[in-house]
Amino acid sequence: MTEFKAFSKMKELMTNYYIEAKTTKEKPIAWITSGAPVEFLFAMDIIPIYPENYAAMCAANHQSIELMEAAEAAGFSQDICAYARTDFGAAMTQGGPAGGLPPPHFLLCSTNICKTVIKWYEVLARNYNVPLFIVDTPFLHNGLTKDLIDYTVTQFIALESFLGNFLGRPFDRDRLTKVLSLSREAADYWKKILYLGKTIPSPFNSLDSFIHLGPIVTLRGTRECVDYYKLLYEEVAERAQKKIGSISEERYRVLWDNLPIWFKMRRLERFFEEKKCTLVVTTYANSWGGLSNFQANEMNDPYELFAASYLNVYINWGFENRIKYLSQLIDDFSLTGFIMHSNRSCKPYSVGMYCLQGEVSKLTGKPGVIIEADQNDPRVYSDAQVETRLEAFIESMEPVS
Amino acid sequence: MFKPFHEVVSNVSKTILKHEKELGCPVIGVMPAYFPMELIDAAGGYPVQLWGNNLPLGKSDAHLQTYCCSVARSVLELELIGGAKMVKAYAFTSLCDTLINLREIYRRLFPKPTVELSIPFTQTVEARRTYLKSVIRSVVKGLEEITGQRITPDSLAEAAHLHGRTRALQRKLYEIRREKPGLMKNHDFYTATKAGFFLPAALYNEMLEDLLEGLDKFPAPEGKGLKLLLSGLVFDPIEIYKIFDELGVHIVDDDFANGWRTVSKEELQVENLVQGITEFLFNPAPCCCVYNPDNDRHPYLVDKVKKAGADGVLFWYTKFCEPDAFDRPQLINRLKEMDILAASIEVELSMTSFDAVKTRISAFCEIAEG
Repeated sequence: MTEFKAFSKMKELMTNYYIEAKTTKEKPIAWITSGAPVEFLFAMDIIPIYPENYAAMCAANHQSIELMEAAEAAGFSQDICAYARTDFGAAMTQGGPAGGLPPPHFLLCSTNICKTVIKWYEVLARNYNVPLFIVDTPFLHNGLTKDLIDYTVTQFIALESFLGNFLGRPFDRDRLTKVLSLSREAADYWKKILYLGKTIPSPFNSLDSFIHLGPIVTLRGTRECVDYYKLLYEEVAERAQKKIGSISEERYRVLWDNLPIWFKMRRLERFFEEKKCTLVVTTYANSWGGLSNFQANEMNDPYELFAASYLNVYINWGFENRIKYLSQLIDDFSLTGFIMHSNRSCKPYSVGMYCLQGEVSKLTGKPGVIIEADQNDPRVYSDAQVETRLEAFIESMEPVS
Repeated sequence: MFKPFHEVVSNVSKTILKHEKELGCPVIGVMPAYFPMELIDAAGGYPVQLWGNNLPLGKSDAHLQTYCCSVARSVLELELIGGAKMVKAYAFTSLCDTLINLREIYRRLFPKPTVELSIPFTQTVEARRTYLKSVIRSVVKGLEEITGQRITPDSLAEAAHLHGRTRALQRKLYEIRREKPGLMKNHDFYTATKAGFFLPAALYNEMLEDLLEGLDKFPAPEGKGLKLLLSGLVFDPIEIYKIFDELGVHIVDDDFANGWRTVSKEELQVENLVQGITEFLFNPAPCCCVYNPDNDRHPYLVDKVKKAGADGVLFWYTKFCEPDAFDRPQLINRLKEMDILAASIEVELSMTSFDAVKTRISAFCEIAEG
């Protein structure tokens, strides 16, 4: 991981966030999916908790296996998402970092990252006996349409009522506008940081982006989040200006598609550094930066803005748009190739990947490789297989000219 | 009595080609699940339901990972090996992540048109209504372009009646199975259900009417056998039912997406198509793939077991079906709390050896019989 002074600030920010969530007596807790409109929660002083983030933390800390085994012993199949299994196990055993998550008062789930979250959150709703609100954001087979925006807007208005009724006070629209503005400001900094990766050598790599992702997922909509990314941006920009790369020598520049392999971050970091290969950009981390494409002043109706931004995420796109976007990133970031993580735990990201790989390679003339792995389950991962494939792929690339 | 149904299931391609020629209608392959056949018929198409097959998987491995379900892999295999040449277009629903992306794969690989009935997974009634209205508009337009025929109020009413009749006849068959356990072999029953996936509805209705008339003459058989209820997404591989028959086990009811969950649907109400399709998608039987907290699977399944007089429930898990896998542990716990025996078996449509499945079923039956 590239050393950034801002890192200590992020640790402080995230620690304070978890401490508040674990100790609060006043604020309600909502468990929420990573792609859901968290701004509604901040507008009503509700603490959002992300089971996905927590599961990733468990894997990064090499604690996911025992938690998944607990879930599997309770009957949950190894075929279901490893994030969900990790979280179910953490809830059953009170295991994982900080002894598990604070229990939810209600659940908020959006289908823009997958339909699987509905099932995951149904299990949670039953376990905790709490209400579940779903914001359904259908797959964009043919791009963003008025019908889809209207559908999503109607659900946001219902969400507003749900929150008002749940808390026994009217929904605060003025506050939402302010939160939205902060959310977009943070997303804008995040995007600018990621796009500094266009600099050769790249001052900030994808593994860095996975490490620094926490606040933009969990705290977008807060002033602290904006301040943090502003700080990080200034540091990364300085490195870009001084042409300081994130690895000592950069010969290859590649894209990473799909979630990280959380339990192999360190090993893969060393592997890529040895091979003089920078993971420059990732579709995954870019998703939150993409929210900044929809600025509050561009639309009259903030709800339409919300709807458009939360529908329009990479993983919710049809393949035509995915191919265009991947090709565009390869060009814009002067990449020498791309890596696709066929992730057993994430079907919407992975199913169709073989098709995408061929088309993107053909369109860009750059080699791509698919590695078979899992975001959270080390038991279905083989160092030898993955690294052998990656070595062959790296050898097939033309180095940066 | 079941011979004509067996002939259909043993000769699927031949059956479809024969009827395609006779009807002069384009064959539209219907992916799982709950796409109303009525719309296809009303547009002058010939709907054929694709719930997977037992082809050895080869070519599809180049496009779908091994962690995708065998339903998706085998329907793609069929197209890739040229076994679905008669299928002119495909109809999808947004049932799960795999099927949503599978449609995208089809759009990249094949020139055949596709339509998708996107199911609104929201409890916001107004949002669901307006969105479904736009979805139906798009599906109707897509089907009309495929067949070159307009869906008219008359064609829709006629198709609704035809398919409503199919499901009413199938419900009668289910009723006989519940009330006269052992009268039909399990393998025969599911063969009769499966034949309907490939036949024109009018012809299938005639065959069902003949079958029901024949069955009516017979009393419930003497003797007792273990009575089970099965629950899962798809009831295949159909060969496994021979194992139940050998063991003398009577499947008295089921909770399959291509079984009772579809069969239970009343005639599609076409006067208000949005309302009709809402009802069709979400009721009466709940499904793991269709979020609807107003129709909870837990009390539903407990009640269903009691009404069927089943001795236990066997969950029929088609590997890698996440919606099914998520629901199962809590459902099993609920059944056990109600003193209902429950277990699960894993199946894949492409499996050729059933020894392990047989051992598992036998063990479960022995426990159930005490």
